[in-house]
Amino acid sequence: MTPPGYRLSALVALLALQGAPAFAEASVEGRVELPKPLHAAVMNKRYGIVSYNGVLSPYPPLAVIYLEGSFPRAAGEPQARMEQKDLNFQPAILPVQLGTRVEFPNLDDTYHNIFSYSPAKRFDLGRYRSDERPIPTVLFDATGMVTVRCDIHEHMRAIILVLDTPHFVMSDPSGAYALKGLPAGRYVLKVWLDSRTTLERPVELAEGSRLRADFP
Amino acid sequence: MTTPPEPGVPGVASFRRKLLVAMMLVVSVVAVAILLFAQHNMARNVRLDFQREFQNELAALRAVQEVRHAALAERCRVLARRPRIHAALEDGAPDLLYPSARDELVDVMDTGDGAAREPGAYTLRARYYRFLDGSGKAIPPPNARDVGELGPAEESQLNLARLPDTPQTGYILRDAGAPGETIDEVIAMPIISSENGEAISAIVLGFVPPALGGGSPDAWIQGGIWLGGHLDLPAVPGPSRGELAARLTREIAASDGDHGGFEVRSDEAPYLVSFKRLNPGSLFPAAYEVSVFPLAASLARERRLVWEFVGAGALLLAGAFAASHALSRRLSEPVEKLAVDSQENREHLHRAEAALQSTSQELQRSARFSADASHQLKTPVTVLRAGLEGLLAGDHLAPEGREEVSALVHQTFRLATVIDDLLLLSRMDAGRLQIQFTHLDLAPLLEALMDDLGALPDIFDLEIDSDIPRSLWITGEKRFASLILQNLLENARKYNLTGGRVRISASAQGEWAVVVIGNTGTAIPPPSQEHIFERFHRGAVGENVPGHGIGLNLARELARLHGGDLRLLSSDEAWTEFELRLRLSRDAP
Repeated sequence: MTPPGYRLSALVALLALQGAPAFAEASVEGRVELPKPLHAAVMNKRYGIVSYNGVLSPYPPLAVIYLEGSFPRAAGEPQARMEQKDLNFQPAILPVQLGTRVEFPNLDDTYHNIFSYSPAKRFDLGRYRSDERPIPTVLFDATGMVTVRCDIHEHMRAIILVLDTPHFVMSDPSGAYALKGLPAGRYVLKVWLDSRTTLERPVELAEGSRLRADFP
Repeated sequence: MTTPPEPGVPGVASFRRKLLVAMMLVVSVVAVAILLFAQHNMARNVRLDFQREFQNELAALRAVQEVRHAALAERCRVLARRPRIHAALEDGAPDLLYPSARDELVDVMDTGDGAAREPGAYTLRARYYRFLDGSGKAIPPPNARDVGELGPAEESQLNLARLPDTPQTGYILRDAGAPGETIDEVIAMPIISSENGEAISAIVLGFVPPALGGGSPDAWIQGGIWLGGHLDLPAVPGPSRGELAARLTREIAASDGDHGGFEVRSDEAPYLVSFKRLNPGSLFPAAYEVSVFPLAASLARERRLVWEFVGAGALLLAGAFAASHALSRRLSEPVEKLAVDSQENREHLHRAEAALQSTSQELQRSARFSADASHQLKTPVTVLRAGLEGLLAGDHLAPEGREEVSALVHQTFRLATVIDDLLLLSRMDAGRLQIQFTHLDLAPLLEALMDDLGALPDIFDLEIDSDIPRSLWITGEKRFASLILQNLLENARKYNLTGGRVRISASAQGEWAVVVIGNTGTAIPPPSQEHIFERFHRGAVGENVPGHGIGLNLARELARLHGGDLRLLSSDEAWTEFELRLRLSRDAP
């Protein structure tokens, strides 16, 4: 995040913002072939994130599809929510736009202590219960994958993907997705499958076009 | 019973002495053997007891250690699962590793001043900790003060060849070379990735090892640790630490197993040293638990035991000697008595033999005299009879004279009979009479004799009846059997009364031929009854009865020579009865 880069992207965003309303929005849809679960079956359905050989992946498999390009920063602070419910994070995987404030309400009867040591965002919310007000929040101001853990419950893990784009969507469990309301232009369409696997494909979106993009 | 041995019996005293010596010898040998065996056994038992005690003590101490070790390992395991440590390792925050661990280890780490190495304190607190990276090398801490300071040489001892999958126990040398060098215990607990089940790191915690025997210098067992030629052992009064370490290094190198032991025999204080691998199979260098065990107490016990045995043995021997003395006395008593008795017996025997000798000589002499006398007498009797018969044959005798001479001739016959009987008796007395045993039928013999009896001029007008089987076979010589029966029949006739009766019966009874001859007549008075078979005895009744008093004697002697007997059955005013028994012939024709 060097200052010149920042300026440049701000300029591009401004240009895009100016042109955007004039055109009909494009969309991308398709199907991602989700990886087979590496574990035969997770007996305990509490796990939203499983790991194998150092790779964190959602369970059951899901994909996050997002469009990477030069987009204007979000106006204001987008809000997101990751609950702690039944000794688990819900959702277990949460894509957010850069600059989003995520709140972590505790819906269990017990204490939780949400923290992350991930370089993208280190935080430690301390121990709190469901009656904690205001609900603790974290502002995610750097892109990257943030592994969220509970210091009390070692099995609890979640992933927050901080993306520098407003255009992202979760696939459904079958892998189907649809990104809508996209501006025309050249972008990179990315599919995040797990902590180590991100597929990508350059796309050129014409106005009002409906692109079909299947992975792989 | 306790007749003292007569002084005149010299063999008995020596017998008793020999018996006593033999018994004492046996008793001594047996007692000494038993004592030696018992002592040997007891000594072995004492040693075994001692070793067992030692092993028990060690086992108890080790059990405490194991509990402690398990507690430590459990703490480490809990630590290794902490989400923050996992987060620091897995979520790419190595800089947060030690700071996170510091928070997590607050209750595990030694609170401070570090030097709190109190003897006997089974401390569960760690003095320092380090993490190992993926290759097993210690990750240098950002701030050594927070994690317990270690010198570079000490820290390098924490490095392992690879990350362990299981907890490892190791020992590292602190302050090497310094006089106060010590050995610390470290536990390396792998941190297993929750992602892939593989070890991603390990946390190594260092502890002060608990001292075996409580670390006090006067504890029974002194325990320490040997590591790579160094020995961390609290004060041992006996062997010097350096010598012991060198000896241990040799012995451990020589031992193939994980444990062993040896004795240090020094003059003042012998020691039993045993060693046991503390961390078998560990990735850390081998360390050995060393237990030093003073043998002084055991030796003192053994010595006391030996003295007790010597005392007991002496008592036992004394008792045994007394017992054997009494026993030999008791045992020799019958022998002594026997010796005395046999002495007396021998004397009696001698006297009897002498008497027998003289009697025999007397007898021989008298028998010879009788024989000689008989021979000497027979000739003049024959001459006398011939002379008298010559006188009778002549014509120059008056009828009165002739009667007189006739009576004299009759007397010469009687004389000849007496002489014959005497001759026979004397032969019997001298043992020269041999019976020629043959099978002999008594029945015809008796009948012939009865015929003879009937043929005699009967002055008494006797009635003779008999009960004789057709045949009755005996073994004997006809001449003598006939003589016996003749004698008896003669008597029955002679001592009868006018109009009297003689009864003869014969029968086989068992193995005997029994002939009973009874007659009427005057009773033999009871005082005389037992003397009638004696030689030259004549009943008072028979003064006017011809006889010379040797007939019954001769008959009985002959009957006995035949293996039979002759006895008086009864005699009263009415009836006198004799019984003759002779042996039946077994295989009569």
